[in-house]
Amino acid sequence: MSNKYVEMGLSSPVNLTWEVSLACNLRCTTCLSSSGAPAEGELTTAEALALVEEVHQAGVFQINFGGGEPFMRPDFEEILAACHERGIMTCISTNGTLIDEARVARLVKPKGLVAIQVSMDGAIARTCDAIRGRGVFDRAVEALKLLAATPIPTSINTVLTRQNAGEIPAMYQLAHTLGVSLRVSRFRPSGRGADNWEELRPTPEQLIAFSGWLSRSGDVRTGDSFFSLTSQERQGLGLNLCGAAKLTCCVGPTGNMYPCAFLQTERFKAGSLRDLTFREIWDGSEIYASFRSLRIHSCEECQRFDQCHGGCPAVAWHLKNDLDGGDPECLERCVTSIAQKNSAAAAA
Amino acid sequence: MATAGIKLHPACRVRREGFGLLFYDARGPRLLFAETGSLIPVDFFGTPRGRDEFPEGTTEQQKTVLRKFVSNLLDKGFLREQ
Repeated sequence: MSNKYVEMGLSSPVNLTWEVSLACNLRCTTCLSSSGAPAEGELTTAEALALVEEVHQAGVFQINFGGGEPFMRPDFEEILAACHERGIMTCISTNGTLIDEARVARLVKPKGLVAIQVSMDGAIARTCDAIRGRGVFDRAVEALKLLAATPIPTSINTVLTRQNAGEIPAMYQLAHTLGVSLRVSRFRPSGRGADNWEELRPTPEQLIAFSGWLSRSGDVRTGDSFFSLTSQERQGLGLNLCGAAKLTCCVGPTGNMYPCAFLQTERFKAGSLRDLTFREIWDGSEIYASFRSLRIHSCEECQRFDQCHGGCPAVAWHLKNDLDGGDPECLERCVTSIAQKNSAAAAA
Repeated sequence: MATAGIKLHPACRVRREGFGLLFYDARGPRLLFAETGSLIPVDFFGTPRGRDEFPEGTTEQQKTVLRKFVSNLLDKGFLREQ
């Protein structure tokens, strides 16, 4: 990754996370956006299609659709088609419960659909359903089987938690058995994730163990959400810094733009697409400018600085109210935290 | 039947940036920042072309650089020969 060009600022994002709706038929305890009922004033179909054209004109390569559950929007496939007609590549993050044969047959047609990620938070139903709801594991498996039989690159997307950390190798096996790949995402304290943070957050020991496992599992993707834990072995497989407002940004269900999906609050609102154009917000937002110039000085002396540049500012914000305070869950801090715990135990 | 030649891989996209061309490969995903300045138009790899086909007005020195650049893009999978 050439940090020089990223820090200079690109003419538009490389990819865009678009939370098309807050509507969701599940109530997962890890949900970053507390999805459930649709948000008041979600973008209309006409507004959504106009945004696709704006994003195309801006040169954005890929849109990663999430929510909520994207398929809860009746016009979602129309929005997808508009992307593909313009050559925009797409990735869909779904809970899998609204995937059936007919939908898969429609999804398999367009050229441009890069991938589908089906969320699953445990290798067995008991673990997964405790987070995502009763019966969801089985329904996700059915969706994965349907998708695995198509050329659509499909993955299981797992949010790493205290409860499923021990099952990650088994999830890897499950993914292989189903003929899909595994993607592991970081649990962050936003939305319902904030409400359940203390119960679900992985321990420092689990994070270190996961980092080690990840270093031996080059074919597991992380969507760059674990660059704070990246080992030497995975250098070059993804980002080594936060890409918010530099390589990526987020559009919320009502057309507000944010640096990333984990900072969808008024404090971090970069602008509304109902007031300004996509390009005006990308080029002119003070919030985006502040993220582009954000330097985590407190981490600069760290031996791992080149590998993570201070980690995820969103986690630092949610846990310490301090954007440039460094990632509280980085590999270095995990090691320190365990050492402190051990010396406290020895002293006692 | 598709015309033979070198073309952008279907999983890749390219756009113009101030420094030259920015290539994106969705399979990684990965990026390639190519400091080509204004030497190559952004749609240059949109249609199949031969290894020695360059924009009009390209000097011999520039052609040497471009040959190496195209070969590098082929090696990295951003372009493919069909």
